[in-house]
Amino acid sequence: MIVMIVGAMLIYGTLDMPKWADPNAPAALHVSPRYIEKTLEETATPNVVTSVLADYRGYDTLGETSVIFTAGISCILLLRKKKRENSGGR
Amino acid sequence: MLDFIISKYNYWIYIILMMMGFYGMIAKKNLIKKVIGMNIFQTAIILYFISTAAKKGATIPIVEHGHGEAVHAIEYVNPLPHVLMLTAIVVMVSTLGVALAILIMIYRRYNTLEEDEILQVKGK
Repeated sequence: MIVMIVGAMLIYGTLDMPKWADPNAPAALHVSPRYIEKTLEETATPNVVTSVLADYRGYDTLGETSVIFTAGISCILLLRKKKRENSGGR
Repeated sequence: MLDFIISKYNYWIYIILMMMGFYGMIAKKNLIKKVIGMNIFQTAIILYFISTAAKKGATIPIVEHGHGEAVHAIEYVNPLPHVLMLTAIVVMVSTLGVALAILIMIYRRYNTLEEDEILQVKGK
């Protein structure tokens, strides 16, 4: 029931969304043309996704790797502690 | 009317997918099913953001020619949703891994993954 209400509200929200693959959608007009046009001269990388990920947003990617690291460490801790209890304290 | 449906149906598909995940999170008692519901929810959000990147008649955001020529942004799809969703996929996989590890712990402790049975055991 809640799901239906939320879904109906979201579909009502899409009535104001821009059309699919519209070149004049607001998401494509403000900040992304600058990245596409300047990326070759500023970073010398033809792939815009790579240049944004590793150059403009390098600190974000650094934090992302730390997120994966934390997740891996927590998985190891969660799964390993129990094994140690079962085997009676190595 | 048909034009309206064609221009908006991708959003509706994502909303249906998202609501399937939401229903799984709310209504299912099995914890594994809840986690899978959360994953479907996140996948719907990622698909939605990727679809906002599309531009008609544009190609992938890799600049084709070398230096010296002007690059027109209208020829390439929006790269920023792709980058942000790459980050979001990484976060999603991390949460999924940690959630499954926690579920393994819960199963070892209570020998069940049904939510009501776990609450029953805890209540005693």
